[in-house]
Amino acid sequence: MSEPIIIVKDASVRFNLAKQQQNSLSSYLKRLLRHELLFQEFFALKDINLTINAGESWGFVGRNGSGKSTMLKLITGILAPYTGSVEVHGSIAPLLELGAGFDSELTGRENIYMNGLILGMSKKEITEKFDEIVAFAELEEFLDVPIKNYSSGMKARLGFAIATCSTPDILIADEVLSTGDRAFRTKCEQRMQDMLSTGSTTLLYVSHQPNSVRKLCTHAMWLDGGHVKMIGTSEEVCDAYEESTKV
Amino acid sequence: MTNTSSTLQVRKTPFQYLSLLGNLVSRELKKKHRRSILGYVWCVLNPLLVMLIMNMVFSHMFRNNIENYPVYLFVGRTIFSFITDSTNSTSRSIIGNGALMRKTKIPYYIFPTATFLSSVVNYLFSLIAFIIVLLLTNTPVTIHAIAFPLVMLQLFVFSYGLGLLLSQLNTFARDVGQIYTVFTTAWMYLTPLFYPLENLPDFLQNIIKTCNPAYVYIQQGRLIFLGNTWPTGDLILQGSIFALVFLGLGILAYHKCNKKLILYV
Repeated sequence: MSEPIIIVKDASVRFNLAKQQQNSLSSYLKRLLRHELLFQEFFALKDINLTINAGESWGFVGRNGSGKSTMLKLITGILAPYTGSVEVHGSIAPLLELGAGFDSELTGRENIYMNGLILGMSKKEITEKFDEIVAFAELEEFLDVPIKNYSSGMKARLGFAIATCSTPDILIADEVLSTGDRAFRTKCEQRMQDMLSTGSTTLLYVSHQPNSVRKLCTHAMWLDGGHVKMIGTSEEVCDAYEESTKV
Repeated sequence: MTNTSSTLQVRKTPFQYLSLLGNLVSRELKKKHRRSILGYVWCVLNPLLVMLIMNMVFSHMFRNNIENYPVYLFVGRTIFSFITDSTNSTSRSIIGNGALMRKTKIPYYIFPTATFLSSVVNYLFSLIAFIIVLLLTNTPVTIHAIAFPLVMLQLFVFSYGLGLLLSQLNTFARDVGQIYTVFTTAWMYLTPLFYPLENLPDFLQNIIKTCNPAYVYIQQGRLIFLGNTWPTGDLILQGSIFALVFLGLGILAYHKCNKKLILYV
């Protein structure tokens, strides 16, 4: 449809497991000598190739620990590729776990500003969209309550409302809809679809529900143990993935 | 490719992080004073009370050797505790914001910078306490006081550089923070805060004069407020070298660790 917005070439991501077990002095010394005391290498992704065009929506499926979230972190730029390269054109709204940027001591109002600034909005823009955010999250009464007293659903609602009130080029959503209630989930899916229908937003979506991926995404990638198992349209990939998870 | 429909900016230069930085600074300050009755008053009250106690304890020991002991003490203590407080809190800032770093793409130098700046604000508040001490002790303030911002500048650059360096090293190995607390205790005793430098043996005096940045800044402050003279060019040069060396080390560490550090958070 249009030019590529994300190009991932032969990318591998190295990860630090930060294992804690230290059973004996001798194993401690061994690890010290092998320089593995504070760093144990683990490849969360290996040789990934992926090109995403503007306006496409991609779902990522796979078992727990297969590298889906790492994939999103790689594209967001939180993790740098150990080998290979990642090229991204445009702004990203990373929604890796809703409300990840929230500070539990601060109030809802303060967190809206903090989170918006983290995402790259300007103060003025946040002030303009403030009421819209609060209305979408349905949190009018709890604005001046510290976030630590919010329920997980309330936090998720607020996080989603902030991240989607601006129009990013790339919206990244990592299992964001798992905590909200049914009504809110529908509302969120509706908003994501609205953003997609404008054709300018590219969606990267991780979910454990193939149906949700089918509904929102045009393409999908199935990851298994850090490798690409399958890549194609969301129908094909979700079918195959569902087939494999049947017992 | 340019995409005009986006309202989110792609941030490339440090200036685009300024409003986030400001917000992080005010967050630190708010959190420090939230749910306390006196709030920001503590920034002034705390150094005053500590000064009062130290004055009661030590004034009898050194009264004869040092003129205007409260001011001697206050200049030394506020400068030294700024160094230790700011570097200590900055050294934990990257680890403390780990959850945020794993989830969003922000250059991590923002966190030590914000924590450091909130220490600066606290320090500026404590200057009110300093003015109170000057008034209570009837200390004459001369034109030389206008040189004090220059001392503060050296002090800030030095502490920021050291804090930035520590925050990164501490993330790679948490041992650094542990060692640093031991180190600051030794550092405190080797800085003439409540005793006169002349009480020490000559070789120790020389070591302190050449290697202790805290002494260099404190000495400049004391020349201004107790000696009523300008800080000497030698001291300013020495203090600036310390400041720039540590700032350089902090920035160098950032360029070396930039991509790897996230794996250790």
